[in-house]
Amino acid sequence: MQGTNDIDQPAKADDGDGLDPREAAQLLARTQREAQRQFDLSPAWLTVVTGAVVLVAYGALWLSTRGQHPYEGPSLGVVGLVYAGVAVAIAASVKIYRRATSGVRGPSFSQQRGEGIAILVSFVLGSPVLQGAMKHYGASDAIVYGVIPAAAPLIVVGTTVLGIAAAKSDRRQFGAALAVVVAGVAAAFAGPSGAWLVAGVGLFIGMVGYAAADVLRQRRAPVRA
Amino acid sequence: MTAEPLDPLIHAPARLRIVATLSALPDGDSLSFTRLQDMLGLTPGNLITHLRRLEDAGYLRSETTGNGRASRTSIALTRQGRAALETYTRALRDLLGGL
Repeated sequence: MQGTNDIDQPAKADDGDGLDPREAAQLLARTQREAQRQFDLSPAWLTVVTGAVVLVAYGALWLSTRGQHPYEGPSLGVVGLVYAGVAVAIAASVKIYRRATSGVRGPSFSQQRGEGIAILVSFVLGSPVLQGAMKHYGASDAIVYGVIPAAAPLIVVGTTVLGIAAAKSDRRQFGAALAVVVAGVAAAFAGPSGAWLVAGVGLFIGMVGYAAADVLRQRRAPVRA
Repeated sequence: MTAEPLDPLIHAPARLRIVATLSALPDGDSLSFTRLQDMLGLTPGNLITHLRRLEDAGYLRSETTGNGRASRTSIALTRQGRAALETYTRALRDLLGGL
């Protein structure tokens, strides 16, 4: 083992004498669970907290636009609150990502980078392009600043994630993405104000469902001791 | 049906933890020596000894880049190592199922 020239203690190679199968099963389950927790890029608690932030933000957008006739769009204060929530969620995700990937190298990195770029492009371009086109062709504010920004990101980004999950045969991610796409489709027909509520609830359900499935997967021990 | 014997190379607390930790990474990914040591809480000498035994058996591969203090050693589970852990897990399951 070259490059690890920091041997400071006499090496002791323990053997399995005295380690009974039940202890071994418990040690294996505990170690795998701890390792998965440390390598996890999106821990369940962060997914649930982000889902709650999204629910509060979309709920605030719904409250600020409810009862508007004609529809004018959310207030600047609420939009600022939403951006602040998104910024906090991104900062927390970056910190977790750096900690989880510290010392890790390999092919999964380029795959994750590709997935991240695909999601970012669909998020940044999807809704604004549709909004711009709708505005250009004279659609109402209810469509341009209500239905499209609430529903389109869920449909566009959700479909992108659906494709990524299908390619990886990741059923948990596929199920969560499908729930988000369905919520986006429902939001598109819920009216300019109701669209925010439907989108927020749909995103929350998708994220909490994903987190719950993740916790169940991690609790499934390789061997029952 | 007779249960498979437990692989003595894996059936030791430190080596079981090394293999289990590396198996949590996606196939083909490697982990730095320092992060692995940090996660397992083993001394460098102890960890090196166990890694050598696993590497000699073909269960792990290590790669060192750089020189001197800037050198960095990465360790990854090989396909053979992943298969050995699966066999070990199956043997444990059989043993415990029979208890």
